[in-house]
Amino acid sequence: MRLKHACIKGALVSLGAVLMAGSALAADAVTIKLGSWRTEDIAVWQDKLLPAFEKEHPEIKVEFAPINTNEYNAAIQSQIEAGAGPDLLTCRPFDVNREWIRRGYFEPLKDFSPIKDFSDTSKAAWTDGKGEPFCLPVAAVLAGFYYNVDIFKELGLQPPKTADEFTAVLQKIKDSGKYTPLAYGSADSWQLAYNGLYNIGPAYWKGEEGRQGLLDGKKKLTDPDFVAAFKAFAAWKPFMPDGQASLQYADMTQLFTIGRAAILPDGSWDINQVTATGLNVGVFGPPSATADGKRYLQEMPDMAIGINATSKHKDAAKVFLTWLASPSFQELYVNEAPGFFSMGSKPVAYKNELAQKFADQKKGAELTPRLALDRLSAGNPPLDDETWRVLQVMMTSDKLTPDAAAAELQKGLDSWYKPQK
Amino acid sequence: MIRPTTARISLALFVLPALTIYIAFAVLPLALSILMSFFSTKDTAGRVFVGLQNYYYLFTHPVTSARFWNALLNNIEYFAIHLIVEVPIGLLLAGLLTSGLLRRSEGIYRTLLFIPATLSVVIVGFIWRLIINPLWGFVHFPLLGNEMTALPVISLMSVWQYVGIPMIFLYSALLAVPEDIVEAARIDGASNWRIFWGIKFPLIAPQFGLIVILTYIWTFNGFDLIFALNGSAPGPNYSTDILGTLFYRTFFGSSGQVADIDLGATVATVIFTIILVVTAVYFWLVQRRLKTYQI
Repeated sequence: MRLKHACIKGALVSLGAVLMAGSALAADAVTIKLGSWRTEDIAVWQDKLLPAFEKEHPEIKVEFAPINTNEYNAAIQSQIEAGAGPDLLTCRPFDVNREWIRRGYFEPLKDFSPIKDFSDTSKAAWTDGKGEPFCLPVAAVLAGFYYNVDIFKELGLQPPKTADEFTAVLQKIKDSGKYTPLAYGSADSWQLAYNGLYNIGPAYWKGEEGRQGLLDGKKKLTDPDFVAAFKAFAAWKPFMPDGQASLQYADMTQLFTIGRAAILPDGSWDINQVTATGLNVGVFGPPSATADGKRYLQEMPDMAIGINATSKHKDAAKVFLTWLASPSFQELYVNEAPGFFSMGSKPVAYKNELAQKFADQKKGAELTPRLALDRLSAGNPPLDDETWRVLQVMMTSDKLTPDAAAAELQKGLDSWYKPQK
Repeated sequence: MIRPTTARISLALFVLPALTIYIAFAVLPLALSILMSFFSTKDTAGRVFVGLQNYYYLFTHPVTSARFWNALLNNIEYFAIHLIVEVPIGLLLAGLLTSGLLRRSEGIYRTLLFIPATLSVVIVGFIWRLIINPLWGFVHFPLLGNEMTALPVISLMSVWQYVGIPMIFLYSALLAVPEDIVEAARIDGASNWRIFWGIKFPLIAPQFGLIVILTYIWTFNGFDLIFALNGSAPGPNYSTDILGTLFYRTFFGSSGQVADIDLGATVATVIFTIILVVTAVYFWLVQRRLKTYQI
């Protein structure tokens, strides 16, 4: 009995010693938590990015703590409202973040000098109403078209530069009878907006000119420029596979990668999946819609990182953000996560060939984010969600013509967005 | 001899562990969720009591209320298909299993028919989506891409998966019907049909009623299959949106939507009320009147 007690006592003492040693270590190195919705990036952060940071800053340990994408907003909101939450928050672009800023979740970055290396357009997705920055931009994604180089060679086709050429290419592939022109379906409504309408649309509504026009109420979705974009998108229908109404995003990628379809309208984030089968893949940007050949490209600010206003380790968090702003991090990140593009003003080299081809599309093109995510989705009905729904109806049935689709969206916007009233 | 007070104390002690877990993980979250629906957290000032404002918004805002009524109607359809297809088939299978027609293969059928119920909905959704996929599957019509067919098709997938539950439930009830009553009826010259509807079914009516109300509860708490197939904004045009997915979308938000915890709690409370009221009415008005025979 006595022996047993002695054992327990010994165990307790050594446990205490371990705990004390642990806290002594903790006093030397600060641990900060980074909240993210990118559960799929856990290996990249833990094995590549964070070790690189910790090598330069041994006094700071960073823990990557991802939350399931769908539950990220709710989880972060409930944690912060309860006075907790990770020290660093990954910021959703535009309206969600603006609401979070309004609720005081973030430490302001107005006087944080590394953020001055980013252009105003890069910072715009994470500013408050007055344009003050709250998150440090990390990565953007692009949208365009992947094409099967071998099919193009076989049929003697060139990547199209104008809308007319694009239609001609689609028609030729269809006439060949061997391949489906577009690997595209309507079951996942989000990508009808992000990879479809918001991809080719800026060429019709003239990118920022049209988008800013909607924002300040000078333009309406029923204006001819916007309706033309809806019409151009609806014109894809005859080139989509049979039964496209119930084809999902994964089906589309599959149809393309097994070589049964020639063109896949998609985002840069899908680079790894598209090339997984060793297919010879090329990239072209959205075709221009005007005679002058002006090109537009959707560059969507995807991810930024801000500091939790209630964090106890703000200094360490700032050291981390300073590192995020450096070209060395940006180059590391975009090459570890191909399909994501640096938002810094210094040029970055992409080792992935397709990523470089995507990045090349930016040259000479006017960049514009997704149409409806900035301010236009901060009310009920949110324009972005409505666009998903309305485009799905337009693409899967005869219930909505392009004109009617644009009119229905404008009606929703009129009901709450003040500049449009 | 155990004194009554001791018995009472030990009774309380035996109930305590289960009760504690039940209160901590079921009653408390439910109560807190109901409480949350009367507050607003939208302002930086923290939690503000707003009375029935969230309910008013849910039922009167033109867009939000339209989504709610749509989800409710879809949920009723989802339940109706289960009621009309799953429960009768379950009864039929249970009747066949106990009819003696299958002889020795009874056990095999019982197991085979029950297996789908043990599968994960993600697998069931995935398999069925492939089977009816217009590109790789057997059906060239986009069943899930059409507003008219999408919900019935998903309901039937769910029926396929869960038909084993009412079957096994009614099967065990039928097994409890004493053989001598059936024998007596047979000697009196009653047909199998007559025996089933005249003797067996009245004897299992309480269990049949129970499986109906359980189907109601399950379908109104439904979420997983539709979410696995169509995500949290189930299209096309919200034609497969039910109360569970509406709640999820409202509560958790999305990449472009702020999570609305207050309105989410409101939707959850409304779902709870819908289930509670119907179940209570059913037990008071119907289940009590079903005769339980002493046999």
